[in-house]
Amino acid sequence: MKPTSKEASGRELPFSSFPHSEPIHHFHTKTDEEIWMALNAGSELAFNYLYRIHIGLMFRYGCQISTDKGLVKDCIQNVFIQLRKKRGDLTNVKNCKAYLFTCLKNEIRKKIRESNRVYVGVKEEEGFPISLSHEAILIQKEQECEKVQQVQEALNQLTTRQRQALLLLYVEGMSYQEIAQAMDFNEVKSARKLVYRALSSIRVLLKK
Amino acid sequence: MKYSEYDIVDFLMDEFFIQWIKNPNQNNCHFWEKWIRENPDKRAIVLKAASLIRSVKYREEPEIGNAAYVEIFENSIKSDNDNCEDTSAKEKSLPFFKFKNMVALILFGFCASMIYVQIFYEAGTVASSEINEEWITRAVPKGKKSIVTLSDGTRVFLNAESELTYPKNHSGEQRWAKLKGEAFFEVKKDPKRFRVLTKGSEIDVLGTSFNVKEEGQGLEIALVSGKVRVRNSQGNQVELAPLEMVKVDASGISEKRGFDLLAITGWKDRILVFQSDNLEQVVGKLEKWYGIDLVFSGKVSDHWNYSGTYHNENLENVLKGISLTSGLRYRIEENRVLLYNDNQ
Repeated sequence: MKPTSKEASGRELPFSSFPHSEPIHHFHTKTDEEIWMALNAGSELAFNYLYRIHIGLMFRYGCQISTDKGLVKDCIQNVFIQLRKKRGDLTNVKNCKAYLFTCLKNEIRKKIRESNRVYVGVKEEEGFPISLSHEAILIQKEQECEKVQQVQEALNQLTTRQRQALLLLYVEGMSYQEIAQAMDFNEVKSARKLVYRALSSIRVLLKK
Repeated sequence: MKYSEYDIVDFLMDEFFIQWIKNPNQNNCHFWEKWIRENPDKRAIVLKAASLIRSVKYREEPEIGNAAYVEIFENSIKSDNDNCEDTSAKEKSLPFFKFKNMVALILFGFCASMIYVQIFYEAGTVASSEINEEWITRAVPKGKKSIVTLSDGTRVFLNAESELTYPKNHSGEQRWAKLKGEAFFEVKKDPKRFRVLTKGSEIDVLGTSFNVKEEGQGLEIALVSGKVRVRNSQGNQVELAPLEMVKVDASGISEKRGFDLLAITGWKDRILVFQSDNLEQVVGKLEKWYGIDLVFSGKVSDHWNYSGTYHNENLENVLKGISLTSGLRYRIEENRVLLYNDNQ
């Protein structure tokens, strides 16, 4: 018996008690476009995979837009329900994460608009707060801790959209193209400009 | 503009540079390692940019929680039935098992909590680390194990589904390695601190041997020799003596407890150990150890458990052993193994 890796057929084992190993094998090597097409064709495995990979990220992202966790959860659920409903008619998507982030943001904004109740959310200018990790602070020598603190404060003085772009770039690992998509820019260079302005404004501090 | 004319903002803007810091792979490592060697005057600025990129985090990192994870999934699936007249029964039988297993798997993905672990072999100052040196990444797939000897003589046993990134030469002030998964470290004694970076945690030692394993949302540290102090972000700390282990996660540090050397570190000597493991644990260990997919059908009682030790055995012999004492039967197929019992 040699351990053979599973070939990428669409095979499903309907009565498998341990189906978790399946989607990972199938989709880890596939492009976002292929996964999206599989979802559109009705593959439950593709849905599972997208759900599992993105739900945590979506929740974290949504909570930057609104601190009402219940609202964020509702919106995530709506996004996935809509996605399932539209299967068969889904348009091509090149980047699932940027697409899902956009859907979630739109859904949250819509819910906030629609709700008549007194809404408990983040004030626009307080969204996407940044912190510099312990790791970075601890590897610095004592006297440099202060500098890290200064940079952190400077980052939080930036505009919300500037912080959002930096977080998408450095934490979510998105390209400028994906950032443009997630932030509703028509042109990629607008995303670039936003990041450039943010970093330029704290250039002196960064160089220290 | 050429990279040699870049200032810090240009590096911080550059997609290829960011990619190298966040997701090092052969291509970008190759380029940037060469580039830094060619441009030693840019080294300081590159280190600064790298350190900033690495350290930017969301300040608020809430987790979705298991209950909501399952609920949203279930509701999304259920919504189909509200609108479609035709839903096959096939899919409906699955969810319960899927959820249970997915939740277990997903725990890794969502432990965005800020855990900080430090193990001090002796008290000392924290040296600044030079992160950008020549990197090597060794990834071990399911079904395999590996031993890596670092340039300082430290030996690292890497378990299946684990990954180790380390500098080719420990030229900087500090020795380090980055770990995903599980590894056993035999750190060569040296006045230079050795730092193990894991997801959200750090372990500092000078010369000692210990096992580190990402487990659920936390980290399990089992000390074999030497003496260490474990400290988390809230400043709680505890001292470990040989053959003591603790689990550290967002909520704190667990009680110290002893551990069975064979059960924790046997894997590095190719000893597969089952210790009153339930069915799920047995299946999980077999899949990871032999790199197979295992399917169970049938039923076992809630009290079912299995204990056994196998030294360097092949899959068939282990399955034989399990079936002898447990009454389960097995069949090895082309690309998977079936485990079942007759009284289903």
